[in-house]
Amino acid sequence: MILVFDDKGNYIGDKSNVLSATFACEERQPAASAFDAAPTHHPGRDDRMNRRDAAGYEAEATGGARPFVHSLAAWRRSLRPAARWRRVFTASVALAVLFSLEAIASAESIDYEKQVKPVFAARCKACHGVLKQEGGLRLDTGALARKGGDSGQVIKPKDSAGSLLTVRITAQDPAERMPQEGEPLTAEQVAVIRQWIDEGANSPADEKTDRDPREHWSFRPIVRPAVPQIANKGWVRNPIDAFIAANHEHHELTPQGEATRSELVRRLYLDLIGLPPTPEQLQEASSDPKDDWYERLTDRLLESPQHGERWARHWMDIWRYSDWWGLGAEMRNSAPHIWHWRDWIVDAINSNMPYSEMIRMMLAADELYPNDLEKLRATGYLARNYFLFNRNLWMEETVEHVGKGLLGLTMNCAKCHDHKFDPIKQADFYRMRAFFEPYFVRLDVLPKQPDVSQDAVPCAFDGKPEEPTYLYVRGQEANPDKSKVITPGVPELFAFKELTIKPVTLPVQSYEPERRPWVFEAYLTTAKDSLARAEKAVADAGHKHEAAAKKLEDVVKSAPTDDKARIAAETAVADASAELHASTVDLEAARFEMDSVNKRAAAMRVLWVKEDGEKDNAKLAEAETSLAEEALRLERRAAVAKGLRAVTDLELRLRKADANAKPALDAELKAARDALSKAEQAAAVPAKDAHYTPLVGAKPSPIRFHDDFKDDPPLPFSKQSTGRRTALADWMVDKRNPLTARVAANHLWNRHMGTPLAANTFDMGRNSPPPTNPELLDWLAAELIDSGWDMKHMHRLIVSSATYRMSSDDKGHEANVAKDPDNVFWWRRNTIRLEAEVIRDSMLSLAGTLDPTRGGPPVPTDKEADSLRRSLYFFHSNNERNLFLTTFDGPMVTECYRREQSVVPQQALAMTNSRMVLEAAKPIAGKILASLKARASTVDDATFIGSAFVELLGNPPNAAELQASEQALAEWRKLPKASGDDAQSYFVWSLLNDNDFVTLR
Amino acid sequence: MNHSEATPSRRAFLSSSGAGFAGLALSAILQQDSLGSSSGWLPPDGRPHFASKAKSVIWMFMNGGVSHMESFDPKPMLTKYGGKMITDTPYADVFSPKKLKIERVAAPIATRASTLFPMQDGFRKYGESGIEVCNNFPRIGANVDKLAIVRSMWTTDSNHGAQTQFHSGRHFVDGQFPTLGAWIHYGLGTLNDNLPQFISIGTRPYWNIRDGLYLGQTHDAVPLRIDPKSPLDYAAPEKEFAADARTIGIDLSRKLNAIKEDRYPADKSLAARIASYELAYRMQMSVPEVIDFSKETEATKKLYGLDDPNARDFGSQLLASRRFVERGVRFIQIQHGGGGAGAWDAHFHLRPAMVTLGSWVDKPIAGLLEDLEARGMLDETLVVFATEFGRTPGSQNGDGRDHHIFGFTVWMAGGGLKRGVVHGATDEIGFQAVENPHYVTDIHATILRQMGLEPRKLDVPGRKRLEIDYGKAIEEIIA
Repeated sequence: MILVFDDKGNYIGDKSNVLSATFACEERQPAASAFDAAPTHHPGRDDRMNRRDAAGYEAEATGGARPFVHSLAAWRRSLRPAARWRRVFTASVALAVLFSLEAIASAESIDYEKQVKPVFAARCKACHGVLKQEGGLRLDTGALARKGGDSGQVIKPKDSAGSLLTVRITAQDPAERMPQEGEPLTAEQVAVIRQWIDEGANSPADEKTDRDPREHWSFRPIVRPAVPQIANKGWVRNPIDAFIAANHEHHELTPQGEATRSELVRRLYLDLIGLPPTPEQLQEASSDPKDDWYERLTDRLLESPQHGERWARHWMDIWRYSDWWGLGAEMRNSAPHIWHWRDWIVDAINSNMPYSEMIRMMLAADELYPNDLEKLRATGYLARNYFLFNRNLWMEETVEHVGKGLLGLTMNCAKCHDHKFDPIKQADFYRMRAFFEPYFVRLDVLPKQPDVSQDAVPCAFDGKPEEPTYLYVRGQEANPDKSKVITPGVPELFAFKELTIKPVTLPVQSYEPERRPWVFEAYLTTAKDSLARAEKAVADAGHKHEAAAKKLEDVVKSAPTDDKARIAAETAVADASAELHASTVDLEAARFEMDSVNKRAAAMRVLWVKEDGEKDNAKLAEAETSLAEEALRLERRAAVAKGLRAVTDLELRLRKADANAKPALDAELKAARDALSKAEQAAAVPAKDAHYTPLVGAKPSPIRFHDDFKDDPPLPFSKQSTGRRTALADWMVDKRNPLTARVAANHLWNRHMGTPLAANTFDMGRNSPPPTNPELLDWLAAELIDSGWDMKHMHRLIVSSATYRMSSDDKGHEANVAKDPDNVFWWRRNTIRLEAEVIRDSMLSLAGTLDPTRGGPPVPTDKEADSLRRSLYFFHSNNERNLFLTTFDGPMVTECYRREQSVVPQQALAMTNSRMVLEAAKPIAGKILASLKARASTVDDATFIGSAFVELLGNPPNAAELQASEQALAEWRKLPKASGDDAQSYFVWSLLNDNDFVTLR
Repeated sequence: MNHSEATPSRRAFLSSSGAGFAGLALSAILQQDSLGSSSGWLPPDGRPHFASKAKSVIWMFMNGGVSHMESFDPKPMLTKYGGKMITDTPYADVFSPKKLKIERVAAPIATRASTLFPMQDGFRKYGESGIEVCNNFPRIGANVDKLAIVRSMWTTDSNHGAQTQFHSGRHFVDGQFPTLGAWIHYGLGTLNDNLPQFISIGTRPYWNIRDGLYLGQTHDAVPLRIDPKSPLDYAAPEKEFAADARTIGIDLSRKLNAIKEDRYPADKSLAARIASYELAYRMQMSVPEVIDFSKETEATKKLYGLDDPNARDFGSQLLASRRFVERGVRFIQIQHGGGGAGAWDAHFHLRPAMVTLGSWVDKPIAGLLEDLEARGMLDETLVVFATEFGRTPGSQNGDGRDHHIFGFTVWMAGGGLKRGVVHGATDEIGFQAVENPHYVTDIHATILRQMGLEPRKLDVPGRKRLEIDYGKAIEEIIA
């Protein structure tokens, strides 16, 4: 047995299934044959790959597709000299083919559909199909194959030897052999084709040609469809409903009636702000007598800042929000402080920023608004893909999820080969990658915080503007085709306009961010604050010392013979004295630090004046030199003072430490002394041989692409950005882009309605099921664009439709159930298993304990159990996820284009037993009761039950439910009082465990 | 037509079938995929694809990388050439780039250990098969005639991401893929309505926390602790809750959900939720009983090493595993030495480490094998001893061995496999798997075969699997 791997190290298996594995990513190739038995890493194979690709590019560059010519001789004549070098011959391969041809002969006749067509489809159609007809030849049907190409017939029925097709697929010269891309056809495949030709090259008469991908629903330009004329006009509230009603009428379905008002109120609250109404809000909305109560409620909720928190989470799923993760404290993925991006999303939604603008900012705010930290937060979208160790994986993820999340395209399928279903060539994957190739991540200093480890904005920036992109042969990182640099571009089918990439000249504050006014301010303020703290510490220590001295004096006076008391007092004085000394040293360090920051700032300012135009000003130069020297001197003094402070501090601690702690402290002290002596030595180096440490306004995130345990050299900030991402963003949000608006409209629909119109939200390509109502999706997409990408407009439109307002109930609609059991045509509303965050937030909100604080750093994992913040603010990464939220399908950070709506026993355990649920029951009961008591003097069980039902489940109880509830309340009351909660709290606990509490009907 | 007749309610189904879920895969019951009926694709129905040999799997995974040369793969040449650079021995060609090519580096690895490090412990022959086992595992050695040892494993990740890889078959940089236990859970129906069918015991490192992945969280292992007070997450009220009050509350929510079923007869998720609550209640009742060993004899407890402070932890996990298998749990996934890189990660002090680790696992594992055999359960229970990779023939830090992916050992026992056989081999210094090499998914394929599942039939639309994902069953060790 021969052990075989592909070049990426993937085990492929033993030699019998080599080829099938090589191409297995999308489609399994037909069974392997004798020829395939060659191990994959046969050196000749890789050589061929390189040559083939080189050939492909050349053909492309010269605009010439070689015609499919009659004979070998004719073809040889047609060979351009430049291409002759390619005619390197791999004898063993060709011999293997020829040899096996005779070996594989079949007695049975060939089944075109099963044996021939799949080979043409898999290996030939990319160039000889509906999208592309090299040499005028198409092979998507038997008839077209028999028809031939520009140079006539390629098949002579009953004469395989005389058929050009056979000649070309068995050619020995790789430059001549078809297919040009990939492996040669297997001996078995060749044998099948020959036999098929010899048997007459028959194919079914009714065989259909492939559909043109340009005609695929999501690839066509978005044209707003006419709103259908329908009979059920009374039901229609807005054009959405006309599209839905047209389907109802076509399929003879009767739309379900409107949900109850309490259901609608709960639906709007949970959908738009992610929190249920309070009893008062519910009461208000339920008793609003005006006709437009629904519209006014919708408006009010859309204007609530909680709307941003709710919908941000949806987009965070799709845009793959993740807090940083790594191994222990080593940050390997995403970025520290990435929560600024989360806050930007919330803000953008609340301010109703157009979706198009959101995309532009996320992809290119560093080029569009290079100095605006507020907007730069948006590029967290890109910073999130950061991966410390491997650039290729970082880039692949970026391309994959820009494709899936924003375009509904599985670009990732074209990493190793042309896409099997969609018009995306392998090169397109790398063209898309080229937009992102230059970008890296940096942390920009925020006002008030110079230390980027404490807080900063993670931003994208073009750190390697000159970095070339190469196509990786078969997707293998180790095998780049360096013969051609790939330039940024989009798949041809979507190139509705010439992509103009204009380099962006950045303002100086972008590439020298220390010039931003708040940067020095942040350093100075911080230094000032620590100086103030140090001064206070000295004063405090002074008072303490005084008090201790006074005490000693008293002891000596009042009890001169009490040695024990005296010794204690003396020790206290000594301790206080040491502390005073330490704080004095600290104060000195703080003063030097303050002076050093001031002086460095001054030196840098002078430097800028010089750089910005007065290069030859001798006086300035002199001033700069002297300031720089002074800055250096102060910085060194500060360093020595800090070192001294550390030593003093440790000495103090050592004095007080018990024997066990001493060895460790001793070691620390030794290290601190070493550091101090190093600082002292450094201070002795002549100023002309050293330079002060400049104050920085941004820090590039470390990268370690070289597997040597060291950070790569930090990337410089360039004066120019490539402009590539701006160009990409502008193409994406261009009105003519057929994908962007459709993808967004589908997400909006899905998150409002629980089911998308196009089932596969991240893949609208040809291998996905078509939308259930393509006209409606197109209409929504057109509406999104024409409204100026107005998200709140879209929310309003969807929630105000009769479709949205229907009941989810199916009772009484047996005829509908029989015709459309899965509710494909929206004759009722679908129920939704509420998102994890909504379930948790609802409980806290109903209990009145929800902490409404917005934004800021995430709640760390170990604080979550006691936190009352909205779930959106919990630390959420690949490694750290909240257990309760995960139990209810909280998003995976790697990919979450749709929320799962699972139903598993662990959820039941979480709802029955978790502290959060148990603790929420009592205050929820209390709130409901309080609200009732505000309206009536006495509250009977039935009233309480009714109110709790509506509040928690969205509907009042029916008679059976009421009776069961009353009975349970009575039983609880019979229990001995000792057992804690009251009957009403127990009752609320039961309702929290009702199916409808976690369900949106 | 009366609607409720056409769609029997969940309750009716549960009561009429008596066994509730029996025979159906959870996926079939709880499946809510929108592709569902319209695409013609259906999730597995819970029946094996062909007659199965094994019903349950006890999967013991040694985190950190067990040294094959100090466990189940003796290499005398290592001792003979100990202290020499590999390049100065007849085995210099193990470093040929072609052979090392399988490695896929995603995070930095240390330089290759190239000075041969002698075997740190002796081996002796055991049983009728005379298979050699290292002195650190005498009790397992005594059971060697039950084992099918595969000495020719290889993998591709030289770092501990290989732990995930052993469970899912994929290098972690490829993304996250369902683990073997999840596939089995997805494919096979339940044997016991009162217990989760896929249980995970022991600390799992972060990269290996989930199982179901694209199959859905339904197929994640249920984490279980051998702690009668808190065996499952949320297994008991986290706040004091009077039992009688709780009973009334549970009865009420049962009643309310049942009434709702009449209100929404076609609501599939409602039916699933009612079923999930029932299973949760039963799990809550049943699990503590399973991990309560009071009814086990002293002899049995001793067999698992429960009287030995070194062996007690792992012994309890294995005894619990036997009890779960007895009650029909499909897959018990135990992580030994989990947390950080893993206890078996002997970069330093390999010899004392192996002695200690042996004292932790030898008795429990032998006890499990003997106990299963004595109860006639070994034939239907597949016991797996696996690890993410082996360790280098060369020394590291003077007294340790580094990670080694090119050849290592795992073994399996029971479940219709041959007994007392060795399959495959590494070269004479334990570097390369040279005879019948197997990638980790070949172990998966073997287990799936014995469980009666054909992996290709479990494919999910839209989720392409590679050849490598399926692996090939190791026919030579199947009885």
